[in-house]
Amino acid sequence: MRDMITSELQGRALVAGYGSGPALVSKTAINFAAAFGRPQNAIPGRRAVINDRHHELFKQNIKGAVLLFPACIGSTFTGMVLLQIMYKKEAPLAMVVQHADPLLIAGSVLAKVWFNCGIPVVEYSREDLYALVRTGDIISVNGVNGKITIQTVR
Amino acid sequence: MRIDSEQDAILKGDRGEVISRALRTLVDYGTVFNAKRLVPIKSAHLAGSFGTISYGAYFHVLDQILKEGVRVKVPTTINPRPGHDISLLNRIAFIKQNALDYKLKALGVIPNYSCACYEQDNIPAAGDYLAWAESSAVVFSNSVLGARTNRNSVLIDLCSAITGYTPEFGYLLDENRSGNVAVKIKINQMDATALGFIIGQKIVNKVPVIEHFDFSRSDLKNMGAAMAAAGSIGLFHVEGITPEASDIHTAFAGSEPESTITITQSDLNSLRTKHLDNSRLVVFGCPHLTCKEASDIAAHITGKRLTKNIWLCMMPQAKSDFEKTDYYKTLDASHVSVYCHCPLAALTVQLRRKQVLTSSGKLYYYLEGTEYGTMEDCLKACET
Repeated sequence: MRDMITSELQGRALVAGYGSGPALVSKTAINFAAAFGRPQNAIPGRRAVINDRHHELFKQNIKGAVLLFPACIGSTFTGMVLLQIMYKKEAPLAMVVQHADPLLIAGSVLAKVWFNCGIPVVEYSREDLYALVRTGDIISVNGVNGKITIQTVR
Repeated sequence: MRIDSEQDAILKGDRGEVISRALRTLVDYGTVFNAKRLVPIKSAHLAGSFGTISYGAYFHVLDQILKEGVRVKVPTTINPRPGHDISLLNRIAFIKQNALDYKLKALGVIPNYSCACYEQDNIPAAGDYLAWAESSAVVFSNSVLGARTNRNSVLIDLCSAITGYTPEFGYLLDENRSGNVAVKIKINQMDATALGFIIGQKIVNKVPVIEHFDFSRSDLKNMGAAMAAAGSIGLFHVEGITPEASDIHTAFAGSEPESTITITQSDLNSLRTKHLDNSRLVVFGCPHLTCKEASDIAAHITGKRLTKNIWLCMMPQAKSDFEKTDYYKTLDASHVSVYCHCPLAALTVQLRRKQVLTSSGKLYYYLEGTEYGTMEDCLKACET
């Protein structure tokens, strides 16, 4: 017998908006500039594929997922490549990050102010995130009040 | 965030739609990090120097800014060009380079075209507030020069350059500039670049304080660049070497470190390739070389029978100086190329498998199919 369990976490709302969809969980920090910096990231539909061989989500497309990850690392191109996938409508639906940094936030803020299309970001720093959310769970992120709702089939 | 009357007028559009949006961007960006105000900056450094069609949103914003005739408000430098003119493939990949160069000129950007802007053209003083992008330049100016900038994204850098402001948070504030993690080293053959890479991987986004070691300025530059690629470090201290770490007590602002890590010789060695003869191309200069750094490399390879192609990527002014030296005149031009472009961008688009060896931790991180060697490894590989 499989049960649907709903749980709710309270994070810190950083960028407003609402996104709901399948969770994609990364336990390692993401270098978005390295991830989206390959020539194949110019191909429509493949813009948000993580092409960083150092990363656990290597070759996965983050488009249409709710991305959960610890932090951003690397280049100051980060905000621009995040803006670009939002501009081209290939972004994740929302992001939950353990430690928000200026480069991650820049992507969503630039997209909101210049193109009216920034995705919500919520910071949730506690380690239990990885025990409570698995890839494929349905997760809703509210960038206004910081609530993260998780629907899990276990 | 407190907004003064001048900033309020800008937000309301007194100086045009584009400046208003740029300031709105900085207010929203700073608000997320609880910035209390916007502060004037001494200079900006922009990282968006590659003319590729992949960055459509970037070009769209640039065009909006130029349409209103807006120019940068503070001295502003720019990262290297991508090597758009070195191959047919690169001409296609960077087809918008000439258009981008034209736009940057119209903005009033200083055409230094180097990531090592702090060596020439844009040299901050300790305590200066800046709004820089380019992770290697940010970490250098914070750590080695004692200036104050956050790790700003491409386009955030431009919003600051045209308004002259940055939100006051992060590394601009004293409370975020003291060390968190003590780094002990058990190393008999120092490789500052590999040390930076491992520190970046291990402590990701804290402020490391490395125990005393007599690093050169080049060591600090390459170490910081590696930390900022393998991690997101924007500030580090070295006991007795960097300006805000006259001693350990000062570096930690009187507090105890949150944690202590030890980095050993075997950690450093784990990055090094065991196959020096695998490569076809040995690349030096990520970040860009100074004239002295290039001369030191040239001194080792001149007069040798070279077996690999070698790239020296340099600051444009340093390249001119280097070309006047005897080192340059004795280099084997059939194997050695001296460039001013970004080696990463130039090598990203290639059809053949890349067989690159580099002593740059940053280039090693970003360029697919690249192997890492110490400076000694790389010099040896040139004639292997």
